[in-house]
Amino acid sequence: MDRLFELQGEFWVAAVETLYMVALTLLIGGLVGLALGTVLYTTRPGSLLSNRVVYNIVNVIINFFRPIPFIIFIAAVQPLSRLVIGTGIGNDALVFALSIAASFAIARIVEQNLLTVSPGVIEAARSMGAGPLRILRTVVLPEALGPLILGYTFVLVAIVDMTAVAGLIGGGGLGNFAQVYGYRQFEPVITWAAVLLIVIFVQGVQFLGNWLARKVLRR
Amino acid sequence: MGTAPVLTAPFAFTTFHVAEENTMALVALRNVTKTYPASERGGSPVVAIDDVSLEVEAGDVFGIIGYSGAGKSTLVRLVNALEPATSGSIEVDGREITTMPERELRGIRLGIGMIFQQFNLFNSKTVWANIAYPLTVAGASKAEIAARVAELLEFVGLADKAKNYPDQLSGGQKQRVGIARALATSPRLLLADEATSALDPETTQEVLELLKRVNREFGVTIIVITHEMDVIQSIATKVAVMDGGRVIEHGAVFDVFSNPQNPSSRRFVSTVVKGIPSPAELAVLRERHEGRIVTISFRDGDASQAAVFVALATAGVEFELVYGGINDIQGRAFGHLTLAIRGTDAAIDTVLAEISSRVDVTEVA
Repeated sequence: MDRLFELQGEFWVAAVETLYMVALTLLIGGLVGLALGTVLYTTRPGSLLSNRVVYNIVNVIINFFRPIPFIIFIAAVQPLSRLVIGTGIGNDALVFALSIAASFAIARIVEQNLLTVSPGVIEAARSMGAGPLRILRTVVLPEALGPLILGYTFVLVAIVDMTAVAGLIGGGGLGNFAQVYGYRQFEPVITWAAVLLIVIFVQGVQFLGNWLARKVLRR
Repeated sequence: MGTAPVLTAPFAFTTFHVAEENTMALVALRNVTKTYPASERGGSPVVAIDDVSLEVEAGDVFGIIGYSGAGKSTLVRLVNALEPATSGSIEVDGREITTMPERELRGIRLGIGMIFQQFNLFNSKTVWANIAYPLTVAGASKAEIAARVAELLEFVGLADKAKNYPDQLSGGQKQRVGIARALATSPRLLLADEATSALDPETTQEVLELLKRVNREFGVTIIVITHEMDVIQSIATKVAVMDGGRVIEHGAVFDVFSNPQNPSSRRFVSTVVKGIPSPAELAVLRERHEGRIVTISFRDGDASQAAVFVALATAGVEFELVYGGINDIQGRAFGHLTLAIRGTDAAIDTVLAEISSRVDVTEVA
């Protein structure tokens, strides 16, 4: 317990680092994933702008990257990371790798959630003379908003989980803190302190997500 | 057409004609077919619509009846080009739509309202926003939208529900929102795809009454798709019977109801009209009634009915009514009455010969 007190400064820094990584990943991965998922949904056969070629390309890319374990993926994209953001190590390099991985995961979740929108509602909008892009923007996305919020909440929790390996490429965050000061120095209290904060954080996010989704779904 | 439209049509895109100005059919289908590719490799393509030709006149309430899978929902989707026809010609308001590019078709769809069995309201939008949606698509100004939505809410009797969401409404209320939404751009044509099939009988009548008002007060032509003959009976002026992708019979509702030509049409008519008793029903009647059993068919004849009963009463035979009924279709009566007649054979033969000059007489047992 005394040790935790000594490391208080590092603990809060680690917490802020985790928040930073999660927030930035959610922002980048969330937007790219939304775009990719929307492309998947709109180009799938029989959909608003069905296009077999585009659908198959995006589909294959996602299926190629999705099964790669994240801890290997970090190493694999390190050269690309150096090329794009100028570094292959640290929190930003982790955000880079994590954003890519999250984009693909989010793309699938977005696609699935958009598919829950009833075809009848889309047909109604078509019968009123609305074009595909308008339908996507004003009908499909708003109708799927509730499930989308729950989907993003789910992804956010997974992202928190994945930031824990940031230490591997010299990044920080609560995962690294627990590893370095807790696990390797035989200080279970430290490990559990980090765990507790992560649990509180995840619970908070889940609660917020549920509350928002409920508000949107009005049930 | 005597009543002036209550709703004004304040937008540039509206084309509001009164039926009499236009003798041309509002919708004309000629030799239309629609086939879907085979669902499995090596299978044969599915023919959903098979060489259908139909004309719907402006001002009609045109019923299309058939069992599920008969092709009626596909047919109605060809009219607003939600699905492209495989071959044939479809004219809406004098414009050929089968060759029209998608962008232009959107303009056509703006002028055709559509309501659905499952209502298909936008659950994420309020009642107000649902009705406003087609107006936004049409590019109406905010002021125009506000005025029009208010009018429509009033018309369908849901002015107090403007801020509610669809899942706070009953089925009948949802369909009324659907109707208001479909009417928002003041279309000349309204397509109703099984619009009452998800509703209970009482609500069905409410919605049908509302559709009648839409037809009467605004001169909107309505195409009603249904599998329920009583829907046709209560609102349609003309009817087409579909089976296996074909229109097997069509004409004025009275004609089809009083004298169906086709076995499938007869089955539909028999769901609302008690006609000639079936063999099983005859057996029961036979057991319970003595004498000869005769079915008399009246077509448009309140007068002939009286004459028939006078003839029977003065012929010295006893008779009782054992089966049947008289129906009223758009103010014209028709029906089938089955009588058990007792008396001497000679007397019965004489009177039957006499009344068969006025009405159709069938001796059934």
